[in-house]
Parts: sequence; structure tokens; C-alpha cells
Amino acid sequence: MPTTSLAPGAIVPDLRLPDHNGNARSLSDLVAGDPTVLQFYRGWWCPKEQTFFRRLIAFQDEVEVAYARIVSISVDPPEVAAAFRAGLGARWTFLCDPGREAQRALGLRETTDTLNDPYVPAVATLLPDRTVLRAYDGYWYWGRPTLEELRGDLREITRPIGPDWDAPTP
Amino acid sequence: MTSTWIWLALTADRPAGATAAAPVRQAPTGEPAGWMAAWARRRRPLAGALRADARIVDRGGAPALVSLVLPPAGVRVPVDDLAVQQARREVLARPPADAVSLLLRDASHFEGAITVVRGRGGAEDPFARLFPSRVLEVGAGLFGRVAPPAGPVIERYGSANPWPWDRYPAV
Repeated sequence: MPTTSLAPGAIVPDLRLPDHNGNARSLSDLVAGDPTVLQFYRGWWCPKEQTFFRRLIAFQDEVEVAYARIVSISVDPPEVAAAFRAGLGARWTFLCDPGREAQRALGLRETTDTLNDPYVPAVATLLPDRTVLRAYDGYWYWGRPTLEELRGDLREITRPIGPDWDAPTP
Repeated sequence: MTSTWIWLALTADRPAGATAAAPVRQAPTGEPAGWMAAWARRRRPLAGALRADARIVDRGGAPALVSLVLPPAGVRVPVDDLAVQQARREVLARPPADAVSLLLRDASHFEGAITVVRGRGGAEDPFARLFPSRVLEVGAGLFGRVAPPAGPVIERYGSANPWPWDRYPAV
């Protein structure tokens, strides 16, 4: 990763940003003790993001029953994020950083795009305390996690925190 | 509120001993329709009371428009029924209400849903596709405004907890 803020073992700061409806939210409240897929994306306009989102949309049908979270963050303002989210059919929270304060704090600006100043595409899988298990640099599309990699990460995070991971039996 | 859920009931008169209560009028006629009340305690306060996410109750809450969906008498649908699951997905997909909660009597059945809105003339209630919605004007002092569910989880965190309560007790 181009930054240490998403290095494995780092704790992602408790970001406080508006969500896609303009409500003030904190990352800790959105994670709420569950394994989380934290996604930073360039913006609605990027074809690579649109394609990767379709992967996450397919994944949400599993996440919705598996006590895990997805949180997406971009520099898009709430009204743009809300429209993009609705168009995608996403049912998780999008955080909005149009002022780029969190982007600066995390060191996740994509420096090659001086027009949009977007987030560098990245995905991190988080433990319940927002510690990074693994991070994926999505600048090149093939650097992004497959669903099998995300499933493996969420299993790795969930197993030690689930006291009943081994099914109770007589 | 320290518990994850409260008891909620519609009553003819102002109930004694409720944690919070507000007068109710039928919308849009304004005809008096009794009281809605909440109790923050373990023991069921009266026979018709149902469990709801405790976060929806706020004694400082402003008047609100409420969509109350209750199954007809004798009809019991599992919480895990596909239609109830889909209604929860639609709640997550749509612009958020001020507050929403499933209504439960036990650990397995959907006994209704309550959706609280303000200022938008009444949002469409996805649970109204399951059973008829009764739209009520609820006075001040009962319902607050809750952060929208984070999504995409539609499961309950413990079967006694009405969705969208969103975490286990240790958190």
C-alpha cells in the first residue's frame, strides 16, 4: 500500500464523516464489533469502481446474514453517493469525504488524478477494533480482493471472536 | 435506555407506569386513537405489548408520523419469512426513516413493525407490503431519531432483539 494507515496491524482511526444521507456517522459505530470490509473508492464515474462494486453487491447477500459489515468511503458528496448507492442496489453505508480531511489523515489520495483528487482504490478487512487484518491496493484492478479472499479474511477474523464457532453439540 | 429492547403498546387510555407515552391520532383525519406507550422493563406490562428496539424511544422526541404494521389476529409469520427478510432489505436500501423496529412477542415470529418519520409527509413503509399499515400521528415525548441501520445485516443480534438492533451485548 502507498500508506501505512492500512498496513496489517494498524488501527484505522475512528473516522467521523457524513453518510450518504448526510447523517454524521463514526466508523466505530458502523463497525460495531463486527468484522468489516472497508472500501475506499475513486468515485461513481470510474468504470473499475463500478465493476468492483458489482462484486460487492453480490457479496452483500452473504454479508447480510453473517454478522459482518461493509463500509464504502469516497470524496463524493452525500447526494452523489446516495444516487450511486441507489443505482447499484447497495444496502450498506457509504461515507462521504468531500472535504478530503479523512483522505489526508489516512494518506490515501491518488496523486495521479489531479482533476478529481480521489481516494486511491483500496480495501481493508478489519477486526472488530478496526485493526487491519489485510489490505488490498486496487490501483491496478487485479490488485483488488476476490470474493474468495474476502470470505477467507472474514472467516479468519470471525473464528477467534466467535465463542460458538465450533457448533455446540451434545 | 440500558436494555436492547422495550415494550410498546397502543392503549385506550394513558397507561400508568410507562417509561414514555404520547397521545395518538389517526392520520389524516386527526381522530383520537388512544395512547402509545413504552416500558423499559423485563416483564410484559400488558397483554398486547410487543418488544421493539429500545433506541426508538426518546422522551424528548418531537411529534411524528408513525406507520404501524400489525398482522391480523391469528396470523403469525416467522421473522425469517422471505417477505419479512425482503422488507428489511428494502428498509436498508431506501432513504431512512427517523426510526424503525420490528415488533416481536417471542424469539421467532414477526408480530409487526413500526416506522417513524417526520417532515416528509410519510415515507413508504416496506412492511406495509406484508400487512396493512395504520398511519398514526403520535405526540411529543415518545419517539426519537435513530441513526439509520449500518447495513447490510438483516439478521437479529440474538433472537430476542428486534431488528435493527445491531450488536452483541459485549460491544
